Amino acid sequence: MRAQVNTEIALTYLSSRKKQTLVAAMGVMFGISMFIFMQSLMKGTNDYFEKNSFSSTPHIRLYSENKVADAHLLTGFLKDSSVKILTNPKQLIQTQGIINPYGIIQSILKNPQVVDVTPQVTATAIYTSGSVTLDGTVAGVNINEEDKMFDVQGNMVDGSLKDLNRVNNGIVIGKGIAEKLSLHVGDNITVSAGNGSATIMRVVGIFATTIKQIDETKSYANIIQAQNLLGKDRSYVTDIKINLKDYNNAPPVARELENITGYKAEDWVQANEQLKAAFKIRAVILNSVIGVILLVAGFGIYNILNMTIYEKIKEIAILKAIGFPGPSVTSIFLQQAIYIGIMGGVIGIIVGFLITYMTSRIYIGAGTLKYLPMSFYIPHYIEAVCFGILTTIAAGYFPARKASRVDPVNIIRG
Amino acid sequence: MADIALKATSVTKYFHDPVTMQVLKNIDLVVPKGEFVSIVGKSGCGKSTLLYVLSTMDTDYEGELEINGDKVTGQSLNKLAAVRNGSIGFVFQFHYLLPDFTCLKNVMIPALKLGKYAYKEVEERAYEKLKMFGIEEQALKKANKLSGGQQQRVAIARALINDPAIIMGDEPTGNLDSKNTGIVFDLFQKLSKEYGQTIITVTHDEDFARRSDRIVEMADGVITNHGK
Repeated sequence: MRAQVNTEIALTYLSSRKKQTLVAAMGVMFGISMFIFMQSLMKGTNDYFEKNSFSSTPHIRLYSENKVADAHLLTGFLKDSSVKILTNPKQLIQTQGIINPYGIIQSILKNPQVVDVTPQVTATAIYTSGSVTLDGTVAGVNINEEDKMFDVQGNMVDGSLKDLNRVNNGIVIGKGIAEKLSLHVGDNITVSAGNGSATIMRVVGIFATTIKQIDETKSYANIIQAQNLLGKDRSYVTDIKINLKDYNNAPPVARELENITGYKAEDWVQANEQLKAAFKIRAVILNSVIGVILLVAGFGIYNILNMTIYEKIKEIAILKAIGFPGPSVTSIFLQQAIYIGIMGGVIGIIVGFLITYMTSRIYIGAGTLKYLPMSFYIPHYIEAVCFGILTTIAAGYFPARKASRVDPVNIIRG
Repeated sequence: MADIALKATSVTKYFHDPVTMQVLKNIDLVVPKGEFVSIVGKSGCGKSTLLYVLSTMDTDYEGELEINGDKVTGQSLNKLAAVRNGSIGFVFQFHYLLPDFTCLKNVMIPALKLGKYAYKEVEERAYEKLKMFGIEEQALKKANKLSGGQQQRVAIARALINDPAIIMGDEPTGNLDSKNTGIVFDLFQKLSKEYGQTIITVTHDEDFARRSDRIVEMADGVITNHGK
């Protein structure tokens, strides 16, 4: 009953000055809807770029890295006690690729984090059609596994990915290669790689990614084809690509695999440093914008409540005279702030959703990106309301405390 | 002891702004229950200041104050607010209603704060009080839509809603015409005679003072005549 009086008075004050209340609520609404919009845009964009980067990069790539020559060979000739100094050491090429790749794959699969593993043979190659040549890389893959991990099928613009398994000497080339060499599905292309001899291959498909550089250099072939191109045996594998349940665990798992296998394991974070940096910069920009908006909304509420208290100082004195203690007066004014916050919050959620929805229909049309990437993520809405109400409480607290300290005698006696 | 509503013992008060001066000098005042007391004196003699000290709103004084036998001097502000809410009804010279509320709500608010009765009961009691003053038709109008006399009657109704032991008035009729003054006086008299409520008013109205039970005269911060 006692608390209800405070609420009733607070609500009466709010409703007797609808315009001011509305303006204050609009301030909060603006802050909250912007918060939601910005967060949705940020998450949408980050998700898009992450997804995009995982369309070509695995969570972890295991490969055999060239090593700097060391002096261990000398140990056989000289005794351990002697000091061995190697001047001007050079990188030693690792010609063998990964030794015992299928054994390693089996041991990687034992890790509970790992969901997909696929071997790859990467070959630097020269594509030739007629008299025109083009440098590039051939990725020799198990196309079924590759498609499962990176959705190659989603990038296909012509031909069929499955034909790689059926057509002998089949190859799927990037759109850029196809354009530069005027190739269509069914045409022949000469591919020569490394130490192997030139091989005539048949174009069975054409793919396009958002990255021009990939489209102009990359092609997919069956892993056996790639081994043939390089003149290597069936156990030759250059990379092992690994996807995890949760890509955020990639760095520790990569360290673990490095220790187990002895090969270099590069996680996607290392491979995409600039992506991480972009995420962080975007987060700083957007959070500061959101902070400023909420601050402005907070000052709006502070101002309006301060003015209300100035106008109502006589009434506050009366309330105190008829027996309202300081905390009740604080409660009356703080409640006004909270109701403004709740009102602004509810409208803000709706407006924020509408803005997010509308902007998600904005056509971009670059690469595979058709519309502005926006995410609809419930926690953003909850966060927004929490922040909004916290701001209003903080903004309302100081005027409310001031009101509770009004000395009724001074005011009533004039 | 039980029949003393209010007892002030050597109450002394200073004003510090602009210069320190003593406004109340060792005031001793005892008001028995059910008495209708008028405090009179020239402007600036300290009678309003005394009333605000007695009302517990002003706590910046020396001396001791008892209300209904309980010492209130030195109590916390929140405790004092509760004392005012339950035991003291206050009527100001200028009605001082809350303009955003209806007359009925204005009368109800102190009772809702007290929380002794349910909402419906409070509403009925408030309506009864308004009826006593003949302004029940105005009950649902906003307070600032009423005439001055009507507003003052609403303010008195508000002061009475919690059946306070003491009703204090700071020139309660100062803003009223003779007809309304008559109504207010009759009502105060009725409250003290029939309901045993103690009434302490500060007034300039000699006629009003003369008709009350006792006149306390003040001059220069001291009581010059206790009226008995």
